[in-house]
Amino acid sequence: MLSRVASNLYWLSRYIERSDGILRMLKINYASSQDALQEFSWAPVIKIYSRLEESKIREIEFNSRKVLLYMFSGSDNLNSIVNIITLARENARSVQDHIPKDLWQCLNEYYHLVKDKRLIQLLQKDDPTSVLDELIKQVMLYYGISEVTMERGEGRSFMNIGKYLERSIQSADILDIKFSTSGDDPDLLTSASYLKYLLLSIGAYDLYLKTYRQGFDAENILELVILNNDFPRSVLYSVNNINRYFERLKTNKDIIEFKELSFQIGRLTSMIRYSTIGSIEQQGLHIYLGLIKKELYSIGNSLNVHYFANS
Amino acid sequence: MLELDFLQQYRPEPNTWDEMFNSDNDIRQPYQKIINYLSQESAEDLNKKEELARKLFMSQGITFTVYNSGEGIEKIFPFDIIPRIITAHDWEIIEKGIKQRLKALNIFLKDVYSNMFIIKDGIIPLEMIYSCPHFLREMHNVKVPHDIYVHIAGIDLIRDFDGSFYVLEDNLRTPSGVSYMLENREITKRLFPDLLPQCKVRSVTEYPEILYRNLMAISPRQISNPTIVLLSPGIYNSAYFEHTTLARLMGVELVEGRDLLVDNQRVYMKTTNGRQQVDVIYRRVDDEYLDPLVFNPDSILGVAGIMGAYRKGNVAIVNAIGNGVADDKAIYTYVPDMIKYYLNEEPLLKNVPTYQLGNPDQKEYVFSNIGQMVIKKTNGSGGYGMLMGHIANDDEIQTYKSEVDKDPRQYIAQPTISLSAAPCFFNKKLYPRRIDLRPFALCGPDGIEIVPGGLTRVALKEGSLIVNSSQGGGSKDTWVLAS
Repeated sequence: MLSRVASNLYWLSRYIERSDGILRMLKINYASSQDALQEFSWAPVIKIYSRLEESKIREIEFNSRKVLLYMFSGSDNLNSIVNIITLARENARSVQDHIPKDLWQCLNEYYHLVKDKRLIQLLQKDDPTSVLDELIKQVMLYYGISEVTMERGEGRSFMNIGKYLERSIQSADILDIKFSTSGDDPDLLTSASYLKYLLLSIGAYDLYLKTYRQGFDAENILELVILNNDFPRSVLYSVNNINRYFERLKTNKDIIEFKELSFQIGRLTSMIRYSTIGSIEQQGLHIYLGLIKKELYSIGNSLNVHYFANS
Repeated sequence: MLELDFLQQYRPEPNTWDEMFNSDNDIRQPYQKIINYLSQESAEDLNKKEELARKLFMSQGITFTVYNSGEGIEKIFPFDIIPRIITAHDWEIIEKGIKQRLKALNIFLKDVYSNMFIIKDGIIPLEMIYSCPHFLREMHNVKVPHDIYVHIAGIDLIRDFDGSFYVLEDNLRTPSGVSYMLENREITKRLFPDLLPQCKVRSVTEYPEILYRNLMAISPRQISNPTIVLLSPGIYNSAYFEHTTLARLMGVELVEGRDLLVDNQRVYMKTTNGRQQVDVIYRRVDDEYLDPLVFNPDSILGVAGIMGAYRKGNVAIVNAIGNGVADDKAIYTYVPDMIKYYLNEEPLLKNVPTYQLGNPDQKEYVFSNIGQMVIKKTNGSGGYGMLMGHIANDDEIQTYKSEVDKDPRQYIAQPTISLSAAPCFFNKKLYPRRIDLRPFALCGPDGIEIVPGGLTRVALKEGSLIVNSSQGGGSKDTWVLAS
């Protein structure tokens, strides 16, 4: 497979996964804002997904509609849905001969949907949840179509590596920001509604209830989102999948490069697998998550150099 | 039949061959079936079909992007839902004529880049060749596989007022539009279910298979699975959709210049598994951008050193480099002479009479009859840089004349030909609009094949004679009937 094609598939997949994370986060946080007695701050959400300056965040953090608009179509927001879906489509466009036609059409329709001016109107004036649901449906369609039609080959491996790398970075980011911003307000981490909406926003609510019986507890949440291998958005599950799909790229030729990356991924997997909540807290959550993110970025970097020929 | 509401306003244009109506204002027989079919639909139904067509083009990404103030806007190439019909008899003439013409043009290219017999025998003056900007000395004595230079040709045909076909120009470099031939047919299948088999329309779907077979056959390495790639300038090119379609339909790798490298006069592509040697390149990048070491040094679309690999015979390039000398508009005048000289045959398809402005007598004649002339640049395309004498005002004519006088060789003139008209559907009615036809011919070691069909381009503006997509032209599905 062409290096450029591998890179395009990888980025296509990362952007789609990112849009999925953002949309779900917006949907649940909007619901949460409707439930809040005090003013609801969007600051953590903005910080997870954008690089907006602190002062600008303060300007809009209590205005749900403005935040939604910024996150959806802010042209200065690199991670706005409109921007990342445009990028996803550009990546897909240059590899149309490597993805099923159905998948390309689905992406193309997703793109035309986010470009539809009507959505901005609805986000500003109408029920934002219906808009977000419509968008989430497109992502679900994409995942369904790729599951059913995508050839089980090298291309899919690169797409899955991209998807799980993106997902593990997101999960680490969400925990990092949600738990560290609460530093100013220690009560937040014992607030049932704060924790409940955190679980909902990453789709962990049902599994949490089945796994833990003693109500909402910050430590249990950390355990679920970092270490539970049955939770599809946990860091461990995602990293295991990076490992799984990377091993499929093994051939006889690129032995040195392959070994280097395989080593990196293996080391990260072990680091997570052999942590406990106790050891994480001893090390400090922020430092621990920082280490994980650093490793994830360096895996992305090695892929870039060794597989995508972008040295 | 004329009581149909969408046909009410249809007035065939005077002195023009109308594809649907004969001179007695009766519907020509080939169009009878489709008019019967349409008569069962209301204008509203047709409108819905038109919308459906637009939606299908959009969702399948059959679009090109226009960049305006940093934001990309998706456009579709306008499509008219009423097909253009070519009878079996007409097709036979076209097919034979194009095959003959291409045969001669191929020999001409071989000749002009080796022995130059045609010049030595005085058929074409030497300065005609040397003054052509697309004549590339770098191609002299380069051996190309099977002596094929023109693997893919798009020959533009028009019909004069009496219905006879003329060749307007030969496109022998990187003719585009074939994906629209294929996609328009797919859309028509959705718009008019069951109508195609009823009318006995010949299929065009074979095109990618024939092209793929030809590409396989010219691989310099005699191996069972040569690597074939389609070289595209990238996603910002307006024909990008066509490149992906063809790559997908043939199952070949779509590459950009940055995906290739040349080492020891061999071309490789960069893959996740290291280098892989490339045998055949179907390039959609123009000659001058192909190799920054030989041609335009600023080009980032090409591959440094590719010309060396080509001269060495380590890679086949389709179409051959340097074909521009054969489809230059001044050389065009000599194609009938080429056919007589190389094949000893009478040309089956006529040329539009053409005057060389490089010739002082002809220039004087053209200038004194400028009202009936179209003047074009010999290396122009896309309908730009033309002067349409019958509609230009005095100022435009004066400026153009002084432009011509700077370098008359770069201009030719042709008497205004009216182009035939075909019915087009808009605003819930049918109107006559001017059309041309570009069939696509494929040359391989086993001969020349032409898929029955082609791209019919339409000038959507009333009275306009310019069908180029860059100037508001659209397209139609093109039906060649089996009997």
